[in-house]
Amino acid sequence: MSDRDVRDALLAVRVPGELEAQRRGWTVVREAYATRDPVPRHGRRLRLVVAFAVLAALVAAALSPPGRSVGGWIRDRVAGEEATEPALVRLPSAGRLLVVSEQGPWIVRHDGSKRLLGNYEDASFSPNALYVVATQGRRVVAVTPEGDVRWTVTRPTPVSDARWAPSPGYRVAYREGETLRVVVGNGTGDRLLAADVAPVPPAWLPAEGRTVLAYADTRGRIRVVDADSGKQLWSADPGATPEQVVWSANAGLLLVVTAGRRHPLYRADGRPAGRGLETAQGQDVLDAAFAPRTREIAYSVYDAESGRSSIVVGGERIQQGEGRLEDVVFSPNGRWLVTGWPEADQLLFIRLPGVSGYVVVPDVRREFDPGGVGATEFPRIVGWCCS
Amino acid sequence: MAGAGRDERAWVRGAQAGSASDFEALFRAHWPRAYRAAYLVVHDAAGAEDVAQEAFLAAVRALDRFDSRRPFGPWLHRIVVNRAIDWTRARSLRREVGAGEAIDDVPAEGRGDPAIPLPDDVVSALASLSPDHRAVVVLRYVLEYTPGEIARMLELPRGTVNSRLRRALDALQGSIGREER
Repeated sequence: MSDRDVRDALLAVRVPGELEAQRRGWTVVREAYATRDPVPRHGRRLRLVVAFAVLAALVAAALSPPGRSVGGWIRDRVAGEEATEPALVRLPSAGRLLVVSEQGPWIVRHDGSKRLLGNYEDASFSPNALYVVATQGRRVVAVTPEGDVRWTVTRPTPVSDARWAPSPGYRVAYREGETLRVVVGNGTGDRLLAADVAPVPPAWLPAEGRTVLAYADTRGRIRVVDADSGKQLWSADPGATPEQVVWSANAGLLLVVTAGRRHPLYRADGRPAGRGLETAQGQDVLDAAFAPRTREIAYSVYDAESGRSSIVVGGERIQQGEGRLEDVVFSPNGRWLVTGWPEADQLLFIRLPGVSGYVVVPDVRREFDPGGVGATEFPRIVGWCCS
Repeated sequence: MAGAGRDERAWVRGAQAGSASDFEALFRAHWPRAYRAAYLVVHDAAGAEDVAQEAFLAAVRALDRFDSRRPFGPWLHRIVVNRAIDWTRARSLRREVGAGEAIDDVPAEGRGDPAIPLPDDVVSALASLSPDHRAVVVLRYVLEYTPGEIARMLELPRGTVNSRLRRALDALQGSIGREER
């Protein structure tokens, strides 16, 4: 058998999906090229000097008491029963993760493989994760998990915070400046829903077939509207500037995370539901979510004085960390919670209830930045769907 | 070598200077072989697409640091093949992790080998080799590098490359012979 026989045999192998893969690949790579930040040639020497200085600073930081403290804490907390894998190996529970890095949104499949969907700034899942709705500049884009663009809406000014309505997913809401707009789930019928809207992502009531949307206005009020009729169902004053609006999975409760110490809780009809959350002076709620199938609130809170974060689930502090634990995202079955930990450059999957296990994924910046040096912004985890 | 030569160097310089059409020419010249090479190592179409896409994204990130006097192909192929090896190893690791207690709710389709069935005897024979052996075969016979070049790309002794090629040829011999009969 000659070398040529082997070569001919290998070149004759049918490679499935070649053209589609090339088309999708080109879409993503072209956008990465179009938005790259070229390095001027005369700046390269300077860059080397800066890189050396940064490296030296990092080494010094790692050897300093605070650096050792972080490292020691990780070892203390993670060593033993928890497994640290060398890479994002596999999600510990069913579904797909949606992670947004500087390069754009990534779908992380259950087996740990991942794909960049394009150069978008923000993204969220459609109800069954059949699509991702993303924004980039003036565009709202619906894209498949393989990266194929299904539709695009282009507006005159920048858009953000696109969110898909619950099943059957007939509506998508997004913000354009201080307006809130709604488009049909196939990309048609784009229209204005509300003006004077605050820079807070809107939240759909998670009830099948309903198109009820909660949002914050520029005066700090929470408004709940029927997105089809435009009729306001109720409104409330949370007492401090709203930063996040979260429905419980059973659609029974609405939590409003504010910039203040009180974070009120409302029933679906607008009546207050107990005292809500209260945090101490100097503490910021970084992210909040309801556990699936329960009314338990989970949140991450950062204490500016200590420089530490805690994750609290159902009133119990289950995790602490130096720096910020950025996200609170549940697995679809509610048995795992994942948070991003920029200081440790890790994703931390915590098994619930209590803390019955961990999966720790290191080198997260590098993982979501192919070809980079790991110095980019830490990615955000924006969804885990669906079982 | 695909895309080698003066045209390619001009495309690289153009892409570095911001020419989208030159960058597209580079992409179109190199994607098919990069994707095929990745597929023959990972044996999974979605995995090959991820590997090829990430290799090109890495190339975009490093484009300004690239010396345009050097050929682009070997640089890209080295990234592709190394990522493909990593991907395949990670998949094996995923299977091992799947047996651990920390993992729950693994769907039925996640328990088996996610690779698409490969009826072709040649590919089946290739699949019987380790990812490192497959990578050497792909570099030699699909991307057409010499054993010396492969040794440098994979940072292996040349003797190791030769022995891997020999073993791979033994495995492939039977399947190609069967096809010819």
